Amino acid sequence: MTEARGRQVELASMAGIIERLAGDLALSEEPARFIAALEGSAADEIDGPKNG
Amino acid sequence: MADESLSGLAADIRAGRMSPVEAVERCLARIHKWDGRIRAFIRLDEEGALQAARASEADAAAGRWRGPLHGVPLGFKDLCHLPGLPTSCGTRTPEYFVSSQECSASRRLVDAGGISMGKLNMTELAMGAYGDNAHHGDVDNPWRAGHASGGSSSGSGAGVAAGFFMGAVGSDTGGSIRLPAGCCGVVGLKPTYGRVSRAGAMVLSWSMDHLGPLAWTARDVAMMLNVMAGTDAADATTSRRPVPDYTAGLEGGIKGVRIGLPENYFFEGVDGEIAAGVRQAARQLEGLGARVSEIRLPDPTAMTDVSMLITRSEASAIHARVFRERPQDLQPVVRARLQVGFGISAYDYLQALRLRARLTRAFVREVFAEVDALLTPVIPEPQPALAALKALTAEEFNARAGRFSRLTRPFNGLGLPAISVPCGFTAAGLPLGFQAVGRPFDEALLLRLAHTYQESAGWHHKRPQLA
Repeated sequence: MTEARGRQVELASMAGIIERLAGDLALSEEPARFIAALEGSAADEIDGPKNG
Repeated sequence: MADESLSGLAADIRAGRMSPVEAVERCLARIHKWDGRIRAFIRLDEEGALQAARASEADAAAGRWRGPLHGVPLGFKDLCHLPGLPTSCGTRTPEYFVSSQECSASRRLVDAGGISMGKLNMTELAMGAYGDNAHHGDVDNPWRAGHASGGSSSGSGAGVAAGFFMGAVGSDTGGSIRLPAGCCGVVGLKPTYGRVSRAGAMVLSWSMDHLGPLAWTARDVAMMLNVMAGTDAADATTSRRPVPDYTAGLEGGIKGVRIGLPENYFFEGVDGEIAAGVRQAARQLEGLGARVSEIRLPDPTAMTDVSMLITRSEASAIHARVFRERPQDLQPVVRARLQVGFGISAYDYLQALRLRARLTRAFVREVFAEVDALLTPVIPEPQPALAALKALTAEEFNARAGRFSRLTRPFNGLGLPAISVPCGFTAAGLPLGFQAVGRPFDEALLLRLAHTYQESAGWHHKRPQLA
């Protein structure tokens, strides 16, 4: 397989993955919710400080 | 001193058993003797280190203690901008990264008394899992000559293991702290996304980059994280959450801590010796009071793919200029990876970012309702021989590197804290390691788990015999 052909295959594969996974994303889903997920699910947010 | 730890040396200096100048001179002696083989440094700052050590010694004599790392030799990956030293980012261009912003994490370590020994070798543009570098030399594994040290923070991992400095800063976009830590038999921590400022460090992927410490022990890493962590006005992604004292809870034990061994993905296709080493570590942790169980995870393949797409896209945007203006300056493997990023559509990139948020919420909710930490291998195959890697085409090399980082990369996408801890050796004498992963901002639990294991297993007392 040539280098260019390899790149095309890789890009098509990535696009296919996105198409498969993103089909049912909610309208409200946006990138900043990643930070919210981390901040909101920290251990001490759930069950209080337990370390140190 | 090679048999000492960062925390041990800091205590020795504070107690007057060792002077900062003596500590730096011992490191320099090892560097002069062995870095011709290891190639951990891109720029050794011998005069700067000695000057800083003399000032540190004068301060100690006058009772002026700068902080918990007073007089401790440290190394910095050559993507951290330190004043007065060029930042090559592993490229052939000495001043590839020019910044008006000093690396905040490095500055904090120096302000706490750490002494910079210089800038450390790394994979070009932090793209690569093995620690090879055509411009500055491949970083060699201190435990076995001619074998990969892991990348991209290769000089950070190998330099700690070789006793060139007591702790190092690395960066981790897909495993680049944990892979060299795992390959070189030291502890490496990728903190939660937002826990440590990235200001003043070269960007590979602003969504996936993390800075973190590498050192011999969990206690050493906790001491460094105490200094490095916390909000920074220069990096808007840093969290405002308070920073606990990560050393305070280390002796608390792990009785009742719920540890999950993944049923899916993380042990699939993994080398038998590596898998056995991790399972043995799990049994040892169980013997120390942890509750170990198997757990089925939401498919990490999705997050691995999403993370890879985001990294490729952002890396190509960041490093487009060198690719377009001086492509011949880049190694073929790096050029090939950047080339793919240019072809990713804005639609796919943005959907990947939206997916990341959803996948993270689902993973955290499902996994950490069941366990407090996950235990996995760090690398899927033993550290390969560098010569074998050289025989691969760029395409084959990148495919193999992608597989090599497949156990660490999901946690960059998820933003979760993850630590690599040594857990023995292969029959060939190469280090084995496990990765422990925790809830967001629960670095303290990971450090306690790692410390409890190290105190029991004692692998950190064994050091490489350089030859």
